[in-house]
Amino acid sequence: MDLLSLFPEWVLVHGPAAIVVLPLMVGALIALSPSEKLSWATTWFVTGLSGLMSLGLLLQVISHGPIAYAMGGWKPPLGIAYSVDGLNAPILLLISVIAFVCTVYALPSVIAEVEPEKRSPFYAAFLLSFAGLMGMVVTADAFNVCVFLEVSSISTYALVAMGSSRDRRALPSSFNYLIMGSIGATFFVIGIGFLYMQTGTLNMMDMARVLQDIGPGDRVVQLAFAFIVIGLGLKLAMFPLHTWLPTAYAYAPSFFTAFLAATATKAALYLLLRFTFTVFDPSWHFISNALMVIIAGLGILGMLAASLQAIFQSDIRRVLAFSSVAQVGYILLGIGMATTLGLTAGYLHILNHAIMKGALFLAVGAFWYRFGITKVSDMRGLGTTMPWTMAGFTVAGLSLIGVPGTVGFVSKLALAQAAAENGWWWAIGVIVLSSVLAIVYVGRMIEQAYFQPVPKINDKYIKRNEAPLTMLIPLWTLALASVAFGIDSHWPTSLAQGAAQVLGDGPILLVRETMPAIPAIPSTGGH
Amino acid sequence: MSDNKPTLSPQEIVDRAEAHPAAVPFLWLGSHKTQRNFIYIPLAGMIIFSVLGFVFPPKYPTLWEYGLSYAAIGFFSYSFVVLAAHPLFKMLSRPENYYGEDGEELELEGDVDNGEGSDA
Amino acid sequence: MLDFLTSFSPAFILIAAGVLAAFIPASNISSPVRKALLIGAPALALVLINTTFFSQNQSTYLGGTMSFAGIELTTLRIDNLSIIWGYIFCFAGILNGIFGLHEKCKITDTSALIYTGAGIGAVFAGDLITLFIFWELLALSSVFIVWRGGPKSYPAGMRYLAMHILSGVLLLAGLVIYGRATGSYAFNNIGLDAPGGWLMLLAFGIKAGFPLLHNWIQDAYPRSSVTGTVILSVFTTKLAIYALARGVAGTEMLIYIGGIMAVFPVFFAVLENDLRKVLAYSLNNQLGFMVAGVGVGSTLALNGVAAHVVIDILFKGLLFMSMGAVLHRVGTTKASELGGLFRSMPYTAVFCMIGAAAISAVPFFGGFVSKSMIIAAVFEDGQFIVFAMLLFASAGVLEHSGIKVPYFAFFAHDSGKRVREAPWNMLVAMGIAAFFCIYLAIPGPFGGMQYLYNMLPSEVAGEAKFIPYSADHVVFQMQLIMAAVFAFALLKRVGLYPPERRAQILDFDWTYRRLGLALVKWISAIWSRLGAFVTYMLKKFFGMIGRRIYQVFSPAGTFSQDAPSGIAAVLISGMLAAVLLVVYFF
Repeated sequence: MDLLSLFPEWVLVHGPAAIVVLPLMVGALIALSPSEKLSWATTWFVTGLSGLMSLGLLLQVISHGPIAYAMGGWKPPLGIAYSVDGLNAPILLLISVIAFVCTVYALPSVIAEVEPEKRSPFYAAFLLSFAGLMGMVVTADAFNVCVFLEVSSISTYALVAMGSSRDRRALPSSFNYLIMGSIGATFFVIGIGFLYMQTGTLNMMDMARVLQDIGPGDRVVQLAFAFIVIGLGLKLAMFPLHTWLPTAYAYAPSFFTAFLAATATKAALYLLLRFTFTVFDPSWHFISNALMVIIAGLGILGMLAASLQAIFQSDIRRVLAFSSVAQVGYILLGIGMATTLGLTAGYLHILNHAIMKGALFLAVGAFWYRFGITKVSDMRGLGTTMPWTMAGFTVAGLSLIGVPGTVGFVSKLALAQAAAENGWWWAIGVIVLSSVLAIVYVGRMIEQAYFQPVPKINDKYIKRNEAPLTMLIPLWTLALASVAFGIDSHWPTSLAQGAAQVLGDGPILLVRETMPAIPAIPSTGGH
Repeated sequence: MSDNKPTLSPQEIVDRAEAHPAAVPFLWLGSHKTQRNFIYIPLAGMIIFSVLGFVFPPKYPTLWEYGLSYAAIGFFSYSFVVLAAHPLFKMLSRPENYYGEDGEELELEGDVDNGEGSDA
Repeated sequence: MLDFLTSFSPAFILIAAGVLAAFIPASNISSPVRKALLIGAPALALVLINTTFFSQNQSTYLGGTMSFAGIELTTLRIDNLSIIWGYIFCFAGILNGIFGLHEKCKITDTSALIYTGAGIGAVFAGDLITLFIFWELLALSSVFIVWRGGPKSYPAGMRYLAMHILSGVLLLAGLVIYGRATGSYAFNNIGLDAPGGWLMLLAFGIKAGFPLLHNWIQDAYPRSSVTGTVILSVFTTKLAIYALARGVAGTEMLIYIGGIMAVFPVFFAVLENDLRKVLAYSLNNQLGFMVAGVGVGSTLALNGVAAHVVIDILFKGLLFMSMGAVLHRVGTTKASELGGLFRSMPYTAVFCMIGAAAISAVPFFGGFVSKSMIIAAVFEDGQFIVFAMLLFASAGVLEHSGIKVPYFAFFAHDSGKRVREAPWNMLVAMGIAAFFCIYLAIPGPFGGMQYLYNMLPSEVAGEAKFIPYSADHVVFQMQLIMAAVFAFALLKRVGLYPPERRAQILDFDWTYRRLGLALVKWISAIWSRLGAFVTYMLKKFFGMIGRRIYQVFSPAGTFSQDAPSGIAAVLISGMLAAVLLVVYFF
């Protein structure tokens, strides 16, 4: 069946702009909405629509190659260009699907965690954050990236702070995140500034073309690279720069934590890939050095140190947050290899980790929703009191460990194969070791839930109190996805291979003469 | 039929009462005389088939081409196996609980249904 | 519907039925449902195998493909070799189900279904990875059946599991090496020269009970429950024969291994007192014939192996069933405690004797048409030594299974035990098995031999045509049997036949159950002396490391404190400097 033919023409033509502009506009509108239900429904509708459009774009990219979109009809490099190719189309779909699934969950969760008068603005901020992430991913203009980075970041700070009605510690953590995030954004802008200084253009493809002329020896270009890596490193929680992440994840509203954990760092990872491999040239001496020493090295460090930290945490969300840092380490290790297999594995883990970590945080939110549980030690007997939620948590947890038949296994296996191909045998050892640590920190929670007795109140066992369906459905959607793609990993793997191919082709150069109608981007696709 | 013979010893009456109805006509199989005289059946069989062996020579022409050969193989192999059991038993047998796992009885208790209760 | 059902391996139907059975509560009302599953699932699988294979015209049906971690798996390959195993496994599954009807044990039913499914799945595996998965599932599901024998079966079950996990690990190692070297995981003739071939042969050998690797059979099988032993006797070892026939047929070494395997259990079977253990040795002895046949690898030999697997499952199942019935009624199968049972269990006695006649290859009974094919193939291959060994083993079979088992259980000295006849379901199962033991050996238009022979992997025609009912074959087989029975009667009469005595007979497992254990005990004694010191040092060492790790990583530790933004900013600058260093100067 040809799914693509089901999409109307305008989606495929104007989709790249619509997926950003629609949530941005609607977000502004629903801030004024009188009814939180209406806001929720609108958000749900908009994220769903974005998801459908992203799917259309992805299919279009797979079958007909990259899509270019010139904002307002201004031709690049002067105008702002959006482009969708094999590298960012899957990320767009991922972000919008996760947003859609999480929004279903938001209805009960937001009522429980956010004060009534703040709920409509909450959804508005969420849509802004969503629009910012989509914009970061879809745009082909370097400065536009900065703008969307700020849009998503600022709304994220506000959303994290809204967790304060549940836990006051959300405020300092949001502030901490704001400082760190701003430093990161500043570094990134400085990096882009340096690049602009040297190239005189902001369009990424044009930039790449000029950079090819300048060559790798230029000190300013090198400086720009360093600033961009650190700026993005902060956003994507590269190991020693991750300090904002655990507290932000721990105190943000449950629903937003799930969305944040599944998508925010992934968008930043995408930018890292985009800049390193297609704006700069990975064959340049200093880039390949940085990839091997900084990216892969910090990835390895993060895998071990953050996993160890996760073991010792007492707060469930902090355990999962540190685990996220460790998982980012896996992705960075894959990227750092800079081989096709390594990039495929890293990209695959971007997709897979979003699915499983989303499911885990949704389950944790449900634990809080029913019993106010935040601590690992409070998970006693959850296997009996919330069997379905806990089962979903367990499935996703096993995936995090990397049990065969789950997505976690697929990407870890791919990573190990890539390391073997590269001759990095020690990296396989680190992957195994880190997986063992994951067994410990996930096992600790599962042990509490299934092998500890149900707690008593007034000498009576706590009754079974399952999460509502609006929470269970999103949770199980993601948990089942993590099993389904673990058993038949053909589709995500082909997407990751498509992305790796885009990256492997190196810098995409803008050829000014032939640009207007169809961009001169090498054709890529999933298959 | 033998059932109607008037001269049943008391032991035979008890045996008949205890045995399964289908086994009653065959109780003679258990008698000492039958077991003692059983030997003549295989002896006769062996002789008959040995003679037949000369009539139908074996398909595989080998050392043991003679009609008697398989009877000899059967007899000596069997005797060897059984006689070897004596020294082997001396060499290999140990008390039943040698490995300390079997205790007094190896068999299961819960699964036994000797039919005294109602049959499932 | 049918298309859907034939699109995957029937193993999954059985496994699903097993999982379903686990959820059916063990009450009187619901257990008929479970029993219906137990008999219905293998019956359905049997029908599906048949329709799948004959609804198409190729000689090999490939289906059930799925992709796992990037490797294409073929979970359903039906060709004229695997289909025989498929048929007989399903059929045995049905018989086992009938035999176990009286039993209300959920664990046995569930694991029997999964075990049967795993056996069928492994037989139809088109690639080594599928084979490995079912290979391990076979071990895991069957150990629960061993453990049904009660607390005394736990150590034996653990040893059983250890051996089978070892077999699985060897298979995995072998297949990884093989797949890496050849780029293919297809399960076809591998041969010993292929990389990893030896490892896989060893893996198959453990499951097939090669000499010195055989002890798990005699260790675990006799300890299971009444029905458990019957179920166990069918699948694991026959699957190993299939794997050998598929993977390493024609390996000359196997001929000698098979010869030794056929001969040595004979001596142990005479010594052994527990009749179920006698049958376990006899199982090993019959496997020896099959392994020798696989080693020869000619058309005739492989046909003989396939036919003998079918017949062996029938008669060995029948013998184990009859001993199961005795155990069920009397509570023991020790020859020294039994005797004269034909008075109480006449039908069981008749069935047992039919099984004994079939295993002894009496003309017009099962073994006669299958075993002789293997022996003939060994002869035609010019392996006279092994041929002689197999003839010797044939006489030995008469001793342990043909005479000893029925004689000591049902005749011999009357033990005075008066029990009831076996339950009806056991009689039905034994009756069916006994019927096929005879039917499949009857030639001519009314007999079933034609069906057995038509089923064999290579057409029994032309040069390789095998006619069991030639005058000389019947005569010489009868000579062998009659002479052996005469020897028995004679030895018994002159008092040279060894009496049945209760004892533990040492076998090769002594090395690990006694010698190995003693070594471990000795080492642990030495260790405990060193222990105090070593433990102290280890505690100190790991305690120190643990404290360090905790100090660094715990929520209150250096690493996990929420760094104030100022410090974080310094850290960021430091990172920038590090990146610049790499970018500028590396």
